[in-house]
Formats: sequence, C-alpha cells, structure tokens
Amino acid sequence: MKFYGILIFLFFSSVLMRSQNRQLLFDFDEIPQSLMVNPGADTNHKWHVGVPVISGFMVQGATSGVTVNDIFADDGVDINLKVRERMLDGMNSRDDFSITSQIEAFYVGFQGKNRPENYYSFGMYGETDIIVYWPEDLARLAFDGNGGPNIGRQFDLGDLNLRGEMTNVFHFGIRKKVKDNLTLGFRAKLYSNIFNFKSTNNQGTFLTTEGEDNILSNSITADMGLQTAGLNEIRDILRDDTDTTREDLTSLFTNRLLLGGNLGLGLDLGFTYELNEQTQISGSVLDLGFIYNSKDVLSYTLEGSAVNEGINVLLPEDINSIGEDRWQQLVDEIEAALPFEENEDNYIMLRPVKLYGSITHDWGEGASGTRRENCGCAINVRGGSSEQYYRNRVGGLLYMIKRPLGVQAALTGSYQRRFGRNFSVKTSYTIDKYSFSNVGLGLALNAGPVQFYILGDNLLSYQNIADSNYASLQFGFNILSWNDN
Amino acid sequence: MMMKKLGVSPWLWITFFLSFQACSDKQNFDQFDDLQITPLVASSLFSVEVTEPFINTIPAVNAFYSETFNFDAFTERFVAESLLEGTISYEIENTTSKPVTLVIEFLDAGGNALDAERFDIPAAPTALLTRDVAYGAGGKALDILINTTDLRVTGVNLGDNTSTSTETEPKISLKSAAEFLVQVK
Repeated sequence: MKFYGILIFLFFSSVLMRSQNRQLLFDFDEIPQSLMVNPGADTNHKWHVGVPVISGFMVQGATSGVTVNDIFADDGVDINLKVRERMLDGMNSRDDFSITSQIEAFYVGFQGKNRPENYYSFGMYGETDIIVYWPEDLARLAFDGNGGPNIGRQFDLGDLNLRGEMTNVFHFGIRKKVKDNLTLGFRAKLYSNIFNFKSTNNQGTFLTTEGEDNILSNSITADMGLQTAGLNEIRDILRDDTDTTREDLTSLFTNRLLLGGNLGLGLDLGFTYELNEQTQISGSVLDLGFIYNSKDVLSYTLEGSAVNEGINVLLPEDINSIGEDRWQQLVDEIEAALPFEENEDNYIMLRPVKLYGSITHDWGEGASGTRRENCGCAINVRGGSSEQYYRNRVGGLLYMIKRPLGVQAALTGSYQRRFGRNFSVKTSYTIDKYSFSNVGLGLALNAGPVQFYILGDNLLSYQNIADSNYASLQFGFNILSWNDN
Repeated sequence: MMMKKLGVSPWLWITFFLSFQACSDKQNFDQFDDLQITPLVASSLFSVEVTEPFINTIPAVNAFYSETFNFDAFTERFVAESLLEGTISYEIENTTSKPVTLVIEFLDAGGNALDAERFDIPAAPTALLTRDVAYGAGGKALDILINTTDLRVTGVNLGDNTSTSTETEPKISLKSAAEFLVQVK
C-alpha cells in the first residue's frame, strides 16, 4: 500500500510539477519512451507495454516574453500599465507563446525472437502543437492606433506569425544493433490530422502620412495568408450549438483520429555510437514529414496595395460623377486593390522537424549481475561489462526545432545516477530562449514489471510558478521486461 | 520498508518531493476586465478642389458646387459602437480672386441636418484656414457623428465670375481628416 501511496503522491505532485523537457528523456535508456526521441536509442528491454492512455503524457508551455505573473500578479499595479510596459514596450516580434502536448494512446515494443538485435515498437499518440509569435507592430496598432504620434510610423504586417495543429500519429519503428558499438533506428509515421492552421511568411506594411489630395494618406501593402484545415466543420458544429453538439464533435474527432482526417507521412531517424566502453554519441532527427491537406480546407488571403485619402472630388474633372455613391466607390476601389479572399486550395504542411545530438560518458561500476549481462542476445554486452553497469552518466545535448521564424535551439548538460536496477534519477541544466536557469529532474522507478517515470525541469521557477517562462511535465506508466527477466 | 527495498535513501525521496512543490504569488485574473484597448484611428474624410475657371462658368452668388453624398464612415459598426471622442480637422485654401463660403452639413438618414460647419474665406491672398472640431468630452455631441449617414458640401462664390487670380492654377481646396478614439475593449 505504501508503494501505491507513493505513486499516487507522485502522480498528483506532478500536477504541481509544471516543467518537463524532452531533453531529459533523451538518453534516459531505462524508459522505453526514449525510443520516441531517438529511434536508435540503446535501450535494453525484452518487451514493453505502455499502460493505455497513461503510458506517456507530456504538456509543455513556454513564453519568451511576459509571464502570467507579469500581467496578473495581484500587486495593485494597473493592468493597462503592465501590458504597456511589459508587452507593448517589452516584447518584440521574435517573442513567442507556445504550447505542446502529447498523449500516448498505446505503445508496445518487443525484441525480435529470431533477430534479437532488433527491437520493434509501435503505437499511437496524439499531439498538439501551437506557437504564436508576438505580433509586435499589429499589437501596437491595435492598442495605440495609427493616429497621433504614430502618423509616419510604418507598421510591419509581417509580424503576424502563428502555427498550430492537432494530429494523431500511428508509428512503427525498428531499432537495430548493427555492430557492437553502433545502434541504428528508424520510425515510420502516419499522420491523421484533426486540424491545423498556419499564417507564416506574411509581408506588408501599413503607413499613415501626410497626403497629397487630402490631409492624411493611409497606404497599405499586403501579401498575407492564413491556411486552415479541419477547423471549418468544427466551427460549424459549435456555431449550430444543437442538442447533439457534444456527440457531433466526438464523432468528428474520432473519425479524424482514425485516419479520417488529412493524412501525412513522416520519418524519425536515430543512432547511438559507442566511442569506447564508457562514452557514446547519439543523435536523431524527428518528424521529417508532411501532412497533405485536402479535406475541410479553408484559407484566406489579403494581397495587394491600396492608398486611401478619403473621398476626393476634383472639379471640373468630376463634374459628371456628381450624385454618384462616392462612398461605395471608395470602398469598392479599396476592395479591388486589396482583395480579401477565401479559397479551398489544397496545401502541404510540413511538420516541425526536431534534431537531437548528444554525447554521454559513464563511470562508476555498480554491483555485478546487471540485466544486460544476462540478456542472452549478445547484443549489449561489451567485454563482460555493459554501460548499464555504470552508476553515473554525464551528458551534453543539443536540441533544435524548426519554427516559423527559424531554428530554436537548447543546450542541456545532465547527470544521471542509477540506484541499483530499479531506480534512476537524472538532473539537467538547460539553456534556451525561454530560460537561462532551467534545472530539471526526472526519475524512472521500477516495481516488479511496472515502471513509473516522471520528468520535469525548470525547478527553480517553482518558487513562483506563475512567473515561470517555461512550464512542462511528462510522466507515464509502463509494464516491461528487461533482458534478464 | 518500501524505500529500503528499493535501495533508496528516504532523504532522497524527501528532496525529490520537495523539489516538485510549486509556489505562486497570488494572481488576480479579474484584472483582465480592467484592460482597456483604445486606439486613436486617423484617416482622411473627404476633399473638394475646384478651379477658378470652373467657378467662373457658374453665375456669381449661385453655388458653384453642391453635392450630397453617402458617407457611412461614422455609422460603420466599429466606429458607431465604440467611438469615445474625436476631432475632425479641416484645411481650406483659397487662391482664387473671389471670396467664397463653404458649408458642410451632417445629415441623418432622414435628410435632416444634424450639424453644419461654415467657412467664409476671403479672396486671395489669404492664409491657409484650419479648424479642429472636437466631438465627445468638451466638444460637440458624439451623436452628431454616430447618426450621420450623408454629407452635403456646398460652395458659394461671393464675388464675381469674371476676375482671375494672378496665382498659379488658382483654386479653392477643402481637405478634411479625422482622429477618433475608439474603445476596442
């Protein structure tokens, strides 16, 4: 009972543990999910089965600009002042707000019976990933307008950058020990997209200056677009708001989860190479893939340029147009020069590619009788010893992800300590655009065939979690068998 | 016992648990209701430019220009529902040899004049005439703008229709622009 109490305590503690980093999972070979971030990870399981739905849960939120506390702290400061100082004046168009979540529906893996050097794994998980960049100039325009001191200021419409998707992923991977010191792996993915949207690579300006025919001139040049797929039907169901709204949404989501959505293909690749008995390098590239959007597509474009100086009457040139609807003519001229249009054109959405690269070093021999010595497959034993034999591991990890405004990178240093064969703790320090003080902590705990793992980082922010720029969490339960079980 | 079974120091567990206990300063999300977004929107409204030769084709004292045109800028939902205050600025330049009167009337949907701005401009040489008319707090009623659907602009020549100015390309020009403070939230 005490054991289950600990697990329950850990589970609910994790609700307060708002920080997780996939970098902690990388090279954490005791956890089968490490194959999801490196299909060539040097894991050593005979088989594993993730507990359905709770084998892997990850949620991650980040902001490189203001925090919740910056705006909503109950500090007596006028929120309008806080928004102006900390958002309008304090953030720029490269600051972003992002949220990523991943929930495993199922995840299974097993060692090949006739090919023990192979480990096969497959499963299904749902992933949501949304990133919105701070639209610096558009926000300034919305809050301050184009009048007063902003006459003469050029607003950059290209500051609009956002991207989001909810996707279900079916995957199958093989990890193969090709040499004593080299493990390779790949994972094929089939995406079934529930919805996605993106508005990137926008260009344009809006400028108010002194006019020629009138006091002011508003000029706009735009080459902007917003592509969406899957949102239109959801919006229709919500807008109709009938007695069957919940059922209709459930039916729609279920259909799209099970290959009824826009489909795509992807690939993960990874490797682990042992430089010597105690040092290894590993790397992976994830989500090299795309989704082809052909269902429920609705996109919007705003392209063209227009100049507005109001209604202008020149006499005698306009003598014959007196009495015409000059206002409507003005509106029509602007709409013709700067059409806002909808289309249902198919489009391809690339997945956000991630790249990991690491180096680790092990030391400190543990007790004899490691699981790898007795795996019976001769794939992990190196000269009568194995890396699992070492109690300590330090590592350095570089992580990169392709985002709409370029590559975001993170650098992580980590230390892992194994306490016997059933308990392992890993701590990390990560630098990225969100935080320079990101200290992480994770554990994998085995009780018989049941494994519980929980990973979190940015622990220093727990002193005031609302003031954290980075909050995330990952945990899960697996049932597994090691190679000597 | 369980911890010992696992071979883990109880202190390690305690440290681990404590490290995950998050604190937070008190937050007040009701502040969002106090957030105000009130941009100052600026745009030209209308302009009229009439050359002296054209004025000379119209019998003196008669209106050389009179037009009522639809002007929905003020009744656009974005403006009508959120207008807090504003200023309409006028610039009038007369380089003709005649004194003129310009009248701008704000008409409602029934054609009734809600307000009018009258400008009497001497013959050239004369300085640029500017006028800022405030609406809202301390100015004219906002309802004038909110209910205006049409503008009637009238120009009357108070001089003769034979003289010509020595200025280059003599004309009468009326320009107007507005700056409105609107409450988006």
